Amino acid sequence: MSQHYRIGVMFSTTGPYSVVARSMLNGALLAVAEDAVPDVSVEPVIVDPAGDLGAYAGLARDLLQSGVRHVVGCYTSSSRKEVIPFFEKHDALLWYPSHYEGFESSNNVIYTGASPNQHVLPLVGHMLGRVGASAFCVGSNYIWAWENARIFREAMMAQGGRVLAERYVPVGDVEIDQVVEAILEARPDFVFNTLIGTSAYAFFRAFRAACLARGIDQPRAIPVVSCSLSEPELEEIGEGAVDGHLSSSVYFSSLDTPANRTFTELYRSTFPQGPSTSADAEASYVAMKLLILSLAEAGTDDVEAVKQAVTRQYLLAPQGEVRIDPQTLHAYLTPRIGLSNKQSRFDLLFEASGPVRPDPYLVQSAPRYAVASCNPALRVVK
Amino acid sequence: MAPRLLQNFNGGRAHIVTANRCAVEALENTLGKLGVSAVYPELRDGRADIDLGALQAERDMLFVDGDLDNPVALDTDAISRHPPVPVIGLVGVEAPSRLKHLINLGASAFLRKPVQGGAVYTALFLGINQFLLRGDLRARLDDMDRRRRGRRAVVKAIIARMSEAGSDDDEAYDWLRRESMRSRQTLEDYCEMFLKIRAAPLDKPTHLPLREIGAGRR
Repeated sequence: MSQHYRIGVMFSTTGPYSVVARSMLNGALLAVAEDAVPDVSVEPVIVDPAGDLGAYAGLARDLLQSGVRHVVGCYTSSSRKEVIPFFEKHDALLWYPSHYEGFESSNNVIYTGASPNQHVLPLVGHMLGRVGASAFCVGSNYIWAWENARIFREAMMAQGGRVLAERYVPVGDVEIDQVVEAILEARPDFVFNTLIGTSAYAFFRAFRAACLARGIDQPRAIPVVSCSLSEPELEEIGEGAVDGHLSSSVYFSSLDTPANRTFTELYRSTFPQGPSTSADAEASYVAMKLLILSLAEAGTDDVEAVKQAVTRQYLLAPQGEVRIDPQTLHAYLTPRIGLSNKQSRFDLLFEASGPVRPDPYLVQSAPRYAVASCNPALRVVK
Repeated sequence: MAPRLLQNFNGGRAHIVTANRCAVEALENTLGKLGVSAVYPELRDGRADIDLGALQAERDMLFVDGDLDNPVALDTDAISRHPPVPVIGLVGVEAPSRLKHLINLGASAFLRKPVQGGAVYTALFLGINQFLLRGDLRARLDDMDRRRRGRRAVVKAIIARMSEAGSDDDEAYDWLRRESMRSRQTLEDYCEMFLKIRAAPLDKPTHLPLREIGAGRR
């Protein structure tokens, strides 16, 4: 007999980062629509916090109090941290489908997006070897950007690179000219971008325009690299500023694999109005697929049983093999670096040879001590 | 300069002293994620079976259950409360006597029982970095004490140098400082040596003629 489960789906499909969030909702719904597991029927209960941090907690509580035990949702780390206490209190499971900055491992969260050792660290190695050693960090003023910039800075300094400056703007702020001026004055070898949503799109446009006005070939002279830039966002940036940006990600819609061709075709036909597929849409698809498979294997939505079951799943996802590490409940994923083109897609520049074990606390790859942010204060003594 | 912050605890070893393994299940799981192995010393007659002499501050850390009655005889410095390895208190009963015991052991961070996984990284980060900071401050205090004790020798050496070289006190001090650096000694040690060398040689020991025992006796 088929088991019926109500599954929460919580994405801010309106608000400052709605473009990515809508692609994430689509990814999750696509996995539900595939109906590949006969013993399980899933009814998505969709809620939209509209990018309002204060709304997440109430919606999560309402979902969990209505009997929902599993929720696929959240894009920003601040929203995830906002809802985790409710999942721990109700002993429910959040399936978090986005790349993030690590340094978290809740027993009530399954993380299907990339950890920092799967996005920011491969990017540092790539840039230092091919582009240059000086970077300017610009980001949205919250934990994703702060912590990612710290990891980036420490990895750069450990390998002989340096960060010239860091600038942060509020989420949703599009007044970006001062940041652009500061970058042009500092003239870094490249810009490390952790802006999200509308702030990011405004920045890409303003930076390209300012460079053009000064006769600077921006993609070649001062390329912008990101760990969050995805195809729907390239479309938002728009013509004229869309090409020549690097993105470190575990998924690009241009991946030429049978599983990805099937995924992108199904996605396009199911959601012809868009937005395009993205790494976060794929992670949401993977999260919902793993959840449905785990529900089927466990035969119940009991959190402990589903957690046990998910560590036994093996998925041939659009990006390749994906499985969940039993120790950290994070996903094995395949790091890649792409270069955006004028068609709002990414051309693949680098690809790891296979899935990389998640290391959310960077215990295998970070320096033992925090790197000092300035040179030691040496003085001449007589 | 304050000691650098330790942020990656990979390779560490936690000695968890408790009689209540259920309350620290999440602690062991989270330590594993952080690359820290966990051992549970056996409790014999209320004392944890740990070779305290073999503990290394760079690797080992102690989690001590405050509900146990003095389970570890740690050689903690009474004034600075600086233990030989980082100590993190496991708090069950929130009574002053229990907390005081953990403080006296030198605990620099605390975790409530039952331990929540989300609190472990913070406790480790705080506990170990506070331990490093206290050690650094204690070393500075020791150094200040040493310098304070050597102050008299420095003053005497300045005066001696002034009369010897006919210089003023600034020149004498600069000369002593330079010479101490050249001889790779602290200023205080150098001044003591400087004074010892110049101290007037002791009088030659004189041997008083011993009276012959029984002399004068008839």
